[in-house]
Amino acid sequence: MNDPDSKKAGFFSRRSFLKSIGTTAVAGAAVQAQAVADELEKVNAEKTIGPGAVPVTLTVNGKQLKLQLEPRVTLLDALRNYSSLTGSKEGCDRGTCGACTVMINDVPVYSCMKLAIEVQGQEITTIEGLAQDGKLTAVQQAFMDRDALMCGYCTPGFVMSVTALLKKNFRPTADDVRHACVGNICRCGTYPRIMEAAFQAAGVPVPTSKTEVIRYA
Amino acid sequence: MKSFQYATALSVDSAQQMVADNGQYIAGGNDLLGLLKEYLVDPKTLVNIKSLPGLDKIEQGKDTWTIGANVTVAQIEDHAGIKECFPGLHWAAWHVGSRQIRNVASVGGNLAQHSRCWYFRHRDVLCLKKDGDTCYARHGENRYHSLFTGNQCISPVVSNLAVAFAALDAVAVVQREGKPVSMKMAEFYADAFTSPTAHNALKPGDLILRVEIPAVRNRSHYIQASDKQEFDWALVSCAAAAKVTDGKLSQARIALGCISPVPHQVDAANEFLEGKTLDDATASQAADLVLKNAKPHGHNEYKIPLAHTLIRRTLLKLNA
Amino acid sequence: MPDTPAPKLSWPAETKYISHSTHRIDAPPKLKGEARYASDIQAEGWLYGMILRSKWPAAKITAVNLEPALKIPGIKAAILVKEGERVVHFYGEEIAAVAGATKSACLDALKAIEVTAEPLGFAVRENDAKKDDSPHVWADAPNVGTPKSTEKGQVDQAFGECDAVVEGFFTTQVAIHHPMETHGNSASWTDDGLTCWASTQGITSVRDGLAGPLKLDHSKVRVITDYMGGGFGAKFGPGPHGLLAARLSREAKAPVRLMLTRFDQALAVGNRPSSFQKIKLGAKSDGTLHAYDLDNYGTSGLGTGGTSAGGGSGIDFPAPYIYRIPNTRVKHTSVATNAGPSSAFRAPGNPTASFGMESIMDELAVKLGMDPVELRIKNDPSEIRQKEYKLGAERFGWKDKYKKPGSSPGVVKTGIGCAGSTWGGGGSNKTQAEVQINPDGSVEVRMGVQDVGTGTRTVLAVIAAEVFGLTPEQITVRVGDTHFPPGPGSGGSTTCASVSPTLFATCTDALAQLQTQAGVTDAKGDNWTAACKKLGVNPLVVQGKFAQGLSSRGTGGVQFAEVEVDTETGLVTVKKIAGVHDCGLIVNKITTESQIYGGMIMGMGYALYEERVMDWQSGVVLNPNFETYKLTGLSDIPEFDLVLLNMPERGVIGIGEPAIIPTASAIANAVANAIGARVNSLPITPAKVLAALGKVPPSTATAS
Repeated sequence: MNDPDSKKAGFFSRRSFLKSIGTTAVAGAAVQAQAVADELEKVNAEKTIGPGAVPVTLTVNGKQLKLQLEPRVTLLDALRNYSSLTGSKEGCDRGTCGACTVMINDVPVYSCMKLAIEVQGQEITTIEGLAQDGKLTAVQQAFMDRDALMCGYCTPGFVMSVTALLKKNFRPTADDVRHACVGNICRCGTYPRIMEAAFQAAGVPVPTSKTEVIRYA
Repeated sequence: MKSFQYATALSVDSAQQMVADNGQYIAGGNDLLGLLKEYLVDPKTLVNIKSLPGLDKIEQGKDTWTIGANVTVAQIEDHAGIKECFPGLHWAAWHVGSRQIRNVASVGGNLAQHSRCWYFRHRDVLCLKKDGDTCYARHGENRYHSLFTGNQCISPVVSNLAVAFAALDAVAVVQREGKPVSMKMAEFYADAFTSPTAHNALKPGDLILRVEIPAVRNRSHYIQASDKQEFDWALVSCAAAAKVTDGKLSQARIALGCISPVPHQVDAANEFLEGKTLDDATASQAADLVLKNAKPHGHNEYKIPLAHTLIRRTLLKLNA
Repeated sequence: MPDTPAPKLSWPAETKYISHSTHRIDAPPKLKGEARYASDIQAEGWLYGMILRSKWPAAKITAVNLEPALKIPGIKAAILVKEGERVVHFYGEEIAAVAGATKSACLDALKAIEVTAEPLGFAVRENDAKKDDSPHVWADAPNVGTPKSTEKGQVDQAFGECDAVVEGFFTTQVAIHHPMETHGNSASWTDDGLTCWASTQGITSVRDGLAGPLKLDHSKVRVITDYMGGGFGAKFGPGPHGLLAARLSREAKAPVRLMLTRFDQALAVGNRPSSFQKIKLGAKSDGTLHAYDLDNYGTSGLGTGGTSAGGGSGIDFPAPYIYRIPNTRVKHTSVATNAGPSSAFRAPGNPTASFGMESIMDELAVKLGMDPVELRIKNDPSEIRQKEYKLGAERFGWKDKYKKPGSSPGVVKTGIGCAGSTWGGGGSNKTQAEVQINPDGSVEVRMGVQDVGTGTRTVLAVIAAEVFGLTPEQITVRVGDTHFPPGPGSGGSTTCASVSPTLFATCTDALAQLQTQAGVTDAKGDNWTAACKKLGVNPLVVQGKFAQGLSSRGTGGVQFAEVEVDTETGLVTVKKIAGVHDCGLIVNKITTESQIYGGMIMGMGYALYEERVMDWQSGVVLNPNFETYKLTGLSDIPEFDLVLLNMPERGVIGIGEPAIIPTASAIANAVANAIGARVNSLPITPAKVLAALGKVPPSTATAS
């Protein structure tokens, strides 16, 4: 169609609609109803909500969570305190530590810096959504094999970051791993093991840290 | 955070109408949520501008590239064309925060972000920038603060992208009172240089639409120095860009971040480089010109030799 | 309580699990997000708790009006920390607390509380607080405490006898523990008393700290720590937050979950004191140390201990650190400031002591023209550590890499440094355990110890598996409950040395009893299931306690660092950290290694990035966040090389703290070696490096 309006993705112009359905009387009535519906949809889409709680539906790990949340509630808060998905952790609540990392449409983000109302209609994956039927994923297994966790508080966030990286880049270099996961902080000091775990999960050779046990003589 | 209303705008006009009554735009939300959580801003309504049509594209034109305000920093980092044509912009984006931040951070938000000065960001310090009486940094902890300023506040601009855009002579197009207004980076931050309470020259309701980059400069680079290797604000950042033909520079621009409320540029330095071939001596002289009249405060004098080094190294990369 | 078996126990010479590597048995729940930490414990009807903190560094609080808070929808309780007029002494001191149905309600409630206060004078910097005309932190006491002085030999005369004397002034910063999980707990009252799910290193310390003030019998307070997200010394005792959670819960008649924010962590739950060390060191021409003088002061904020029952973190530290010196004078002076009180922080005092000592040792080595490793070996009283230096130096390539300070060519200069560590460790003989062997062959180990991330659970599984001939996965380990036999607090690097002998003895006894009851000579391994079946209906429950002879005290270690310093930017890049550590018998190799990496990485932070910054004008902490209180990141870590000296004949000792002690010192020495000038102040920032190189005035490089 040469109609310039039709170039805009998802935009349904009245002209293009009219052209496509012809000009019968029935079509005419339908057009009027559609036009009203369009206008209503626009008004509704721009409607102001809050500040009190409003219905919010989140798609988390393939399931729908129907919640009542104020607009100011973050995704992290919604997961942990309005549902029982406490796997994502609160380390700083300021987008500086990564303990709250989740994937939104396979993209890792800080859930503490995302308003829950903004992620409706998107696929949210949390740490609880990775292992299927209780079986650890390759990334989780690698973390366990390499002892890439200690107290475990930063672990869900790191697992999410490494998982997201490998979805995007299945043969990362060391620089790639660092650049992808530097947004996750660990105070216990698991970093060298996390590097090993990422390589193991990617199926590439693991440059292990050198440790030797020597019998003191 | 205090409570607020929330609405999604579907057109620029709607957005500007909605924000008029004590509203704030929310794009990526990194900066805004940080400000809200510390009770530094108090909007009645958050106006979501992520659904505005046409603001999320990177487009290569014949003479000009256009980057929509809603393009994420991650998209810039990942864009092969930008890495090839504007490596300075690529590296500036690469260094922004962490991947999680870049995935949601918008170009517009990165430019418009508020001061990171720790006095400004502190919930219980009423500093000059928040309409208090005193710039606490002046006689206090100012290791991260400006070497140049036109007013009492010494908080510097820290946006990586702004520094790269400045070196590329890019223009931000801002919708103001129904019309698009074009501003180079110097104009975009002008008010921050002159007024203590300003972070940039945006007026209430202004909506950043896009950034336009002239394609004339075929070489560019960006380097920053920070305490940590990554995920750290720069102590000093530097971008340089020029058209390089047979080793000779033309239309060179050097810009520094984190030392002034505006990406710091000096015309004399840019002019000095016109027609020159880059070597250590030229780069050093240019650096001297850029840093002339730098005024350190109690604890940020280190930024001067640091900036000098970054300028030299960034310029010499243009030869590569 | 049955006595431990009469024959003296010893660790088996051949082992299947002990000294080998077993993966953490609690890895799967942690990896799947199923592990429940204190902040994850919740249920329908539970409330959220939050604390209102002082925004004044010093003030007389004359009135606090909680009424507006109680009016906020969802708020179920609002209480004061203390009734009546009171003085607060630091920015962040607790004033009141609220409990509500949501976080949002609590935030609104805190904003609504009205506090009337008269601000008082304050001093947040050590050098300000030392001045005669400084405002007093405590009304009835001077800011400068009575110095603690010790002397040995004839110091002044001894300096006169030295062939080489060096002097220096070294400073270290206040550092914050910042475990990834903040402090906090959940509190719930039932007819049976109070249950507290705490993020703690010492469930017993929390129980005792709650029982007293709440006027409850110990038997009416139960503390549970199934998982916790790190403590590093700061999480002993209930803290004000523990008590407030319990009181809120009682007031609101509903369980309350009260977790601190990252902001709170920087203010009020402990820190490592600062130091300002004036050191003089003298030696004979052959490198024998002869005289030492230390005059040190620092701040513990308000004072040590304070809100943390862990105590043990004054500004003083062992001096001279490690080295054998016959004539010494040591003076420590504590300076009070209006800042949060310090608490024990991973090897309290030791990294601080090490920094001053190892820095001046290298200065001396340069003056004597002596190799730094040789100088240390000559004066180190520990034979083990001497061997560690030799071993480590060879492995590190010290002799080839060591060059005169500053002689590395080019703009980016390389340098190397080394330092030693010493620690006590050892086990607590108050530790007890319970082992239950079920007729179906399943085994349960119960101990009231907590796994703070070190791998204690796995150690217990390894010990039990070794004794019974089973696999660690077959052992169900239950920890972190005051209903279990008492375990040690997880501090002092004493946990492994406490629990291992205890469980080893208990399991040895349990095995003997099982064999007796089942009428078999050997119930281990393949015989296990059949033997247990013979128990019939009742499980066999055996209690035991700590046994002597399986652990000891005293560990050491040495570390080497290689750095690159960009002399035009001042930026330091750590290229390699190598360590040689001993810890007696290695119980679980993989988790022992992880502890050492953890110490090295934390030591890097102390060396290069971490610093609590106070504003002298407003009295606030300027960096109560991870943005400007910088922790070592994934991209900062160097290549690591680790040698563990296995010394099974010494029994289990401990490793968590020795690992952090020498790292910053080794890095500082490496930087000095690289650039031929010394940065004598931690953290080593680009500004300080440029100052040491003479490119900026020194006064501009340190904090205000």
